[in-house]
Order: sequence, then structure tokens, then C-alpha cells
Amino acid sequence: MYDFNFWVLVPYLPNFLSGARLTLELSGLAILASFPLGLVGALMRISRRPLARGLATGFVEAVRNIPLLVVLYILFYALPAWGVPLDAFSAGVLGLTINSTAFTIEIFRSGFAAIPPGQYEAARALGLRSVQSFGLVIIPQVFRIVLPTLGNQVVAVVLGSAQASIIGVGELTYQTQSVGSATFRYFELFTLAALFYILCAQLIGVLWRLVSGRAARAPLGA
Amino acid sequence: MIASGHFGNYLLLLLEGAGVTLELSLGALILGSIAGVVLGAMRGSRRRVVKALAAIYIEGLRSTPFVILLFLMYYAVPVALNLDIPPYPAAITALSLHCSAYMAEVVRSGIEAVPKGQWEAAAALGLGYPRIMGLVILPQALRVMIPPTIGVYVSTLKESSLASIIGFVELLGQGMAIRESNAGGSTADVLLAVAFGYFIICFTLSRLGLRLERHTTREVREGARAGGTVSG
Repeated sequence: MYDFNFWVLVPYLPNFLSGARLTLELSGLAILASFPLGLVGALMRISRRPLARGLATGFVEAVRNIPLLVVLYILFYALPAWGVPLDAFSAGVLGLTINSTAFTIEIFRSGFAAIPPGQYEAARALGLRSVQSFGLVIIPQVFRIVLPTLGNQVVAVVLGSAQASIIGVGELTYQTQSVGSATFRYFELFTLAALFYILCAQLIGVLWRLVSGRAARAPLGA
Repeated sequence: MIASGHFGNYLLLLLEGAGVTLELSLGALILGSIAGVVLGAMRGSRRRVVKALAAIYIEGLRSTPFVILLFLMYYAVPVALNLDIPPYPAAITALSLHCSAYMAEVVRSGIEAVPKGQWEAAAALGLGYPRIMGLVILPQALRVMIPPTIGVYVSTLKESSLASIIGFVELLGQGMAIRESNAGGSTADVLLAVAFGYFIICFTLSRLGLRLERHTTREVREGARAGGTVSG
């Protein structure tokens, strides 16, 4: 019978902490970059200009139908061959951003689709220009609609960031593996890693509901 | 770019890899669907313990990165049980577990789409829960479930690329093997070809799912208008 021993892992606590920090940094950066990009991409996707629409649609279709790991490999192994060397962390952030942007574009797009056409017409009837009506009337409502789904996307990015370990980013999964090869305590280690991610997902869910609940109650256009 | 190297020779290997990818993820989808039906039915159960167990399983698996699940199967379980698990069984088990959590959600929303009256009618006929579920509800839910199942298949197929890191040679694994054999010269070509392979498979499947979905929604809407049920 296997005897569980979590105590042997105590000396490696600093490894886990630095790994966890890197996981949060990696996903935080990717989220901060991909959410605004996703909004821009969604505006392109619903634009009347064929070029903008085509570019955004092509991007979304390409990224959503290619595994994240393949994107990470292209950034980490193929870009240097084209003369653009990227370190593992930058490739990780970039890969996650590309991936998350594609999904965020779709989230915002469905938000725009959920706005009744009357809102656009009303904004125009008030004499607002296109930019004003989007900025003051449409986008604030879109945010309310998409907030819960954006929360799921935050979780998806954190879970996806585990794949950055494969190109050598020293985040939590990477640290877990390297401590594993030193101690051979794989069972305890990967159980703890799984619990770390589950805890992260639950925490993000609770915090997000708290924040988005408040946003949904706040009066619009104040 | 594509002109460099012996690309024609690689193509066959990549096609073979794509076949393995399709097979691996289809296997996981089938196993995951079986587990998903059980889990989905458990979530619809009236017994609180059964319901909670299924919810914990689904939520836990959905918030564990697939890499971790794969490493649990490949590194952790063998150490704990003192047995050897080769890459293929490890990959298909991890993928099936992952898939089952997502299929459970598909099954649950499929069950919810069946009108309440069907439950009442089946209960009025004197059927018990397992029979109501198996003979009346699930067959009707199946139709609504097909498009999202294709979505789960696509995401499972994408996740299956991670099996390459434990040494299983599917599409990405084949690409990485070609890359190593060629001392890095054609890295970009091979990776782009692999990406293109995944794109073609996933794009085609996604389109198929979308078409079926439009078809189903129309059917359900027309059925509702005629006063009938999903099964008409």
C-alpha cells in the first residue's frame, strides 16, 4: 500500500509559491491584454467593412480550431526560425492572449447580438454619432450581459496557463513536475496541483459573482 | 516555405498522426459519453447525496487543467498503485474523464429540454425513475444533445494534442518527431502543417455541428408551434 507523505514536500514550499505567482502573472497579463482586444475584435466582427469583418472572423476561426499547445509551439519554436526570438514567458503570455482573444471576441459578439435593435435606433434618434452610441449606450449594456461569461473565460485562461509549463515557463505545473522528479512524490504533488487549480477556479467564480453582481445592480448611464 | 525539405515524405506520417488523433479522441468521446449519461442522470436525481456527488465530480474535473489530469494518470497513479501505465491507456483514461464532465453537462441540458409533461405522462403510466429516464426522456433528449456533443468532440480533440507530451504519437507527436529527426531545420513548416491539420478537422466538425444545431432548433420550434413535443 502506498503511504502518503505530504511532509516531504514542505521544504519545496518556496518552489510552489513562486510557481503560483508565475501562474497568476501569466494569466493576469493574458486576461488584461485579451479582454480589450476581444472587445475591439468583436466590434470588427460586427462591422460593415468587409476587410475588418473578414480579418476578425478569420482570426477567430483559426485560433478556435487549433490547439493552444500548437500555438505555443509555433510561438516558441517557429518564431525564432523566422528571426523573432521569444523567451518562454513571453511566448506563454502571447499564446494565451491569442487564444483568449479569440474566445473573448465570441463572448462580446454574442453580447452585441443580444442588444435589441431598438437600442441602436434610439441612440441614433437622439442624434448620437456611431462612436457615441456605442460608447454610451450599447457597450455598457453589452458589459452587463457578458460579465458572467467573461468570468468563465478568466477561469479558462488560468487553466490554460498550465500548458505554458510545456514550453518551460516555471509556473505551478512546471514546479510540480520538477519537484516530482526530485522527490518522486508524484501522487501527492499532482493532487495538490489539481486542488490549487480547483481552488483558484472557485475563488475566481465567487469573486467574479460578487463584482459582477454589484455591476449589474448599479444604475446605467449615471 | 513549404518547399523546403522532404515535405512529401512527412505528409504521410502527419496523415497517420491525424488518424490516431481522431481515433484517440473518438474513443474518449464514447467512453466519456457513457459516463456522462450516468452523471447527467445523477444530477437530475431527487436524492441529494447522488446529486451532490455528481456535481462535485463535474465541477472538480472541469476546473482541473487537462495537463494535470494527464500527469495524474501517467505519473501519479502508477506510483500510488505500483503499476506501469503506458502512454495510450493513460491518455485515453485522462481524456475520457475530462470528456465525461463536459458530456454530463450536455446530457443535463438535453434532459432539461424535454418538456415536463413527458415526465408526468411516463409516471402516470406507472414507470419508475430508471425506466422513465432510459425509455422516455433520454431518447428524446438525444436529438438536442447531438450538436453540443460535436462541440465536446472538437474540444476533446484539441486537448488530445497534449497526449504528445507523455510520448504518445498522435498528430502533434508525429510533427514533433519529424521536427527532431530533421535537426530543427523545418520546425516552422512542420508546425504549420500540424496546425493546418487540426484546423481542417476541427473546422469541418464545428461547421457540421452548427448546421445540425440550426436544423434541431428549427425542428423544436416547429414542434412547439404544432403543440407537439420534441419527438413529434
